[in-house]
Amino acid sequence: MRITRRVEFCAAHAYRNSAWSDEENRRVFGKAANLHGHNYVLEVTVEGAPSPSTGMIMDLKALKDLVMEEAVERLDHRNLIADVPEFRQTIPTPENLAVWIWRQLQPRLTDCRLQRIRLCEDLSYWVDYLGEETTDA
Amino acid sequence: MPDRGREGDGGGRPVVEVTYPLGFGAAHRMHNPRFGAEENRRMYGKCNHPGGHGHTYRLEVTIRGPVDLATGRVADGDLVEGLVRRTLLDRFDHRSLDDLITQADGPTSTTEVVTGLLWRILDAAFPPGRLWRLRVEETANNFFEMNRQDVGDAGAVPPAPATAPGR
Repeated sequence: MRITRRVEFCAAHAYRNSAWSDEENRRVFGKAANLHGHNYVLEVTVEGAPSPSTGMIMDLKALKDLVMEEAVERLDHRNLIADVPEFRQTIPTPENLAVWIWRQLQPRLTDCRLQRIRLCEDLSYWVDYLGEETTDA
Repeated sequence: MPDRGREGDGGGRPVVEVTYPLGFGAAHRMHNPRFGAEENRRMYGKCNHPGGHGHTYRLEVTIRGPVDLATGRVADGDLVEGLVRRTLLDRFDHRSLDDLITQADGPTSTTEVVTGLLWRILDAAFPPGRLWRLRVEETANNFFEMNRQDVGDAGAVPPAPATAPGR
């Protein structure tokens, strides 16, 4: 069974590949090259079997606390490219943010398995990361 | 073939699914010409009403692929949405589905048949293997969904183009 906790955070960012000129960044990323911001909606889904004693896969309050500690408190009301060291080099796209959040949470989950990170930046699309990688490392 | 259970730090490039919600409004009438009027009424009920009816179909189009290292993206969203608009929405929005469906697609414009047709159109428009899942909401209560595994492809991870997804 899978259970999901939803949280929101707000952050500023800009898309910039430091190997490219300003012109190239603007050509590829358009207005996303400007510093701007979003209200993000994050859904964290974990998978497991309900405990026979508690009837829970995981205490959703504990899941919320973990998501707040590992992700939201580091991202909320921040400038992602200035304040979060990982995003000085890695472009804070929803794809990369979802992978980063997965890597923050996954080692902290012991009794159940992280199944999916869903991140919605605005109404036009969302991304899902299920921990999958290409095999051509 | 990717192992969907890996923990995300094995050294490969992360594979991410990106979903775009879109939609169109179209008319249709369920009627299978192989059967008589009474049998059609029995099979399809009010969906067989002679004048036809319509829906605002909501689509969720999911593409899947490795995150491009240079852009941090699986695909350029504007290119994806432009492709869906040109190949699909411009053809289906404010049209009658019964004019667009052929016998090869299925017996009548059920949402199962429509979903299969939309999948084939999108799959042909995207680079090979890029389309991952299609969900169609006929109404807020009826959902139809298929993915690449349903069409017999176990889901090899498609290669990502350098900076652009479309064609």
